[in-house]
Amino acid sequence: MSVIREEQLTAFLVEEQARFYRLAYSYLKNREEALDAVQAAVCRALEKQDSLREPSAMRAWFYHILVNECTDQLRRRKRVAFVSPDTLDAGSYEDPLPPDGTLAQRVDALPAEVGTIIKLRFYEELSLREISAVTGLNLSTVKTRLYTGLKKLRISLEGANIE
Amino acid sequence: MNEFKSAKEEYLDTPIPAELSDRVRAGIRQGRENRRKARRAALRRSIGTLAACFAVLVGTLNLSPTVAAAAADVPVLGGLFQVLTVRHYEKTEDGVNYQVTVPEVEGGGTLADRVNDAIQEKVDAHLEKARQDWEEYRDAFFATGGTEEEWGGREMDVIADYEVKSQTDTRVSFVVTLAEGWVSSLEERYYYNLDLAEDRSLTLRDLLGDNWVETCNAAVEAYIADQTDKDGFSYFFAPEEGGFTTVDENTTFYIREDGVVVVAFPRYSIAAGAAGIVEIPVV
Repeated sequence: MSVIREEQLTAFLVEEQARFYRLAYSYLKNREEALDAVQAAVCRALEKQDSLREPSAMRAWFYHILVNECTDQLRRRKRVAFVSPDTLDAGSYEDPLPPDGTLAQRVDALPAEVGTIIKLRFYEELSLREISAVTGLNLSTVKTRLYTGLKKLRISLEGANIE
Repeated sequence: MNEFKSAKEEYLDTPIPAELSDRVRAGIRQGRENRRKARRAALRRSIGTLAACFAVLVGTLNLSPTVAAAAADVPVLGGLFQVLTVRHYEKTEDGVNYQVTVPEVEGGGTLADRVNDAIQEKVDAHLEKARQDWEEYRDAFFATGGTEEEWGGREMDVIADYEVKSQTDTRVSFVVTLAEGWVSSLEERYYYNLDLAEDRSLTLRDLLGDNWVETCNAAVEAYIADQTDKDGFSYFFAPEEGGFTTVDENTTFYIREDGVVVVAFPRYSIAAGAAGIVEIPVV
């Protein structure tokens, strides 16, 4: 009956595509690369669909693929660093945490391993348990990184709905 | 956390490129194709042996009661071979991949005939509708200025399949699935629970007693409550938003291997599409 699960998966991928793109874009900050990442992740999801045991875990399972695809692209980009100065916007040379930037900009400037967790928690509203499944980190590491991120963002933790 | 509200809004403002949906579809096509290739290669290796097994089994079955009795313990071929595949074919025609496996019930009674006719009718109607959908889509594609090149090797999958959920000597529970997959996906399931000894369809009342409505509702409500996470998020719609209120005579179900009744709700009927078809065991 794997055919049926495939239908469910493709429906999910089609319905939620805008969310995937936003997440990919927040990593890559480049329209073409974000499109590539989404397409590659979708392709990969279809190929590897048999590894999804619980349909209820579909979201976390797919985000895992997508986040990996994005970090792979970033890694590849690092290796091939042909960036001409005029394609960079002024912000790129500045302090990675511009104190007067908006919160969203400051989140983007966080190191990837911390930024991912902040984005998944507050933008995608995944639970910590789901984030742990997406990132492959254990729950306490996820918590620690979340606090680290919030501290870097200078957000007061009082009354914060972390869980 | 209020600070994140505006950050999230900014994040949600990310412009979505118009070609995203094409890229997602391309990814789906590509991934499906890659997987199919990989599976075909694996299948070719095993299919020879499998076919040989079947030939031997069917051959000996007619001869020896011992073998027939032993085969009854094989899950797929269980019981008295009441559900048999009569038609299986895979073909590609005009860009449509048909994968059709139609079951037939053997019981001798009129019920078996009725069920078989109903299945056949649904499958035929489904294949015809799928063919029409596909034709319409193709006509619309070219009518709106699409070229042969852009059309490329577009294909649609049309699937008819069944699964025997459980069976005993007198009772069989199975599901027939009809699906059509291309740009959107469409899937229908038909559930059959037959009492072949009494020659009739089983109802939830037969299986759960006179309190079947209360029993089912309690199980479904507990299931929905359990699926709601700490933040109160749930795929399920609230009752006032068209979510679950009660089961009735039209609620579909099947009987699991261990005898447990499982009620099934079609996609979108009580939960968001992402939850798929919701199956809830009544225990």
